[in-house]
Amino acid sequence: MHRCPNPTRNSRKLGTWLAAVFLAVNVSLAALAGTEEVPRLTFAQLVDAIRADSEVTETIKSYNGKEVAIQGFIVPTGPPDLSFFLLSRVSALGNYCCEAPVGQDETVYVYTAKEVNITYDPLRIFRVVGVFEAGMRSDASYGPSLFRMRDARVEEALGAKLLKTADFPNAAAKP
Amino acid sequence: MTIFTLAIKYLRGRFVASTLTAVSIALGVSLVVASVLLARGIREGFIAGATDYNLVVGAKGSPTQLVLGVVFRMDLATPNIPYTVYEDLLRDPRVEAAVPIGVGDAYRGFRYVASNSAYFAAYPWRRKAFTLAAGRFFADNSPNEPSYEAVLGAEAARSTGLQIGDRFYEGEEMAEYPLAVVGILRPTGSADDRAIFFSLPSYWGMNEVARAMVVKPLTAVLVRPKRMSDLPSLHREINVTPDTQAVLPSGVLLTIFNMMAVAEDVLKMILVTVGVIVLLYVFVSMYSATIERRREIATMRALGARRASVLTIILAESAALATVGGLGGIVGGHVIAYLAGALLGSSGLVTNPLRFDVFEPAVLGGVIVLGTLAGLLPAVLAYRTEVAENLAPLS
Repeated sequence: MHRCPNPTRNSRKLGTWLAAVFLAVNVSLAALAGTEEVPRLTFAQLVDAIRADSEVTETIKSYNGKEVAIQGFIVPTGPPDLSFFLLSRVSALGNYCCEAPVGQDETVYVYTAKEVNITYDPLRIFRVVGVFEAGMRSDASYGPSLFRMRDARVEEALGAKLLKTADFPNAAAKP
Repeated sequence: MTIFTLAIKYLRGRFVASTLTAVSIALGVSLVVASVLLARGIREGFIAGATDYNLVVGAKGSPTQLVLGVVFRMDLATPNIPYTVYEDLLRDPRVEAAVPIGVGDAYRGFRYVASNSAYFAAYPWRRKAFTLAAGRFFADNSPNEPSYEAVLGAEAARSTGLQIGDRFYEGEEMAEYPLAVVGILRPTGSADDRAIFFSLPSYWGMNEVARAMVVKPLTAVLVRPKRMSDLPSLHREINVTPDTQAVLPSGVLLTIFNMMAVAEDVLKMILVTVGVIVLLYVFVSMYSATIERRREIATMRALGARRASVLTIILAESAALATVGGLGGIVGGHVIAYLAGALLGSSGLVTNPLRFDVFEPAVLGGVIVLGTLAGLLPAVLAYRTEVAENLAPLS
């Protein structure tokens, strides 16, 4: 009799495992939430930040030197390794079906820190995290700009990712 | 005699089988290394050869064809656009620099590229610099007095053997309009090394149809805007016209990279399969060697060798095979990549096939670990060899 497997002990073991998995998931979610703490700027905020004399407001300047996240379309105007590109509210390559192209007020000049490892898609929104810089400044390589992000890294926008998983429940969870 | 010298002695005892196993490991590893080096070399070649200009304007059609034809000179030239497109762009207040380009024929496969001196101009934002190894640049001449002076890219000059002062033409009907070599460029590491440059008036003068045209033809215009943020609006304005299209060359290259990534994924699957086959071969080789050696192992055990020593000997043998094969494979991979790079050299796409990469120590480590693991089962078999059974007389 005593050799029979003890169901209560087994279920308790299972419970411990479940708790461990739950904890692990929670920890990883917390890690995800940690990356969310980077303040997010929107293109609407950038447009609002421009004053009549084409200077930018102090509010937006308060983000200077801080890490922010901005979501937008990648316009590959720099070299093909994406060490530099424009981040825009409107996709430059979607034939502008619905919107006219935007100018410097809704464009961020992005200088990436290291190799960008994404599958480039002109019709997809990406999340770019980098050190923000507002105010007119000219660059020898890429000319004058109003908004810049330096040491930037490119991620898939989280919203797009969730949508993808929901659309294709059988797809492998490959980033 | 230590365990390792014993292992080496055993390997040398089966010299042919050991060599074949090491060679098969080396072939598998060199295939992986060569594929990775070539895939990366092609990508880097595209990045290095990319234009410094941000927008390519040409006739309506495939953006890929336009960029490959005008920047990399790999595809056929797109149809012509009128010269006025260039003049309009030059006048546009948003444009900082515009370069007209006409491509068409070739001399011995080296493409003719007609432009003006702006093509070679050094702007502060340009990464690429054109310097002359000999001679001078051609002069910008008026459409009525073409000079027929040519400047050769480094590879074009080396391969054709043309010298300063030489005259050349391709096709009998062009004998009336020979081009004179006035300059030879230093290597730039791009498709320009394989081009033959001359002025637009010479380009028009050589062609019967273009000679008679009032508005002269062009293939494309390279554009650099004053502000990068003006690119989307320029791009759109040119694209909504019925005859011209504007293309972001980096966008086209990134799309090509995406397509290459699919091929690379297939290649990765093939490489993994090759890796599994090689590991199985190592396993079979070590397994049969152990079976053959049962009697020797039993003798060793009877003479006092411990089970652990026997296990270590077999593992050391497979580790040695994997190390030799892995090192040979890395060398071989570089050789294959170099040869393939030389073979593809005429397209000028592959760069630095000999450069050592950070992934290679990882490959070597992986091969040694996996190769040793492939010897694990035979080693356990040797470990469990029963002395009494295997020392019995061979009937």
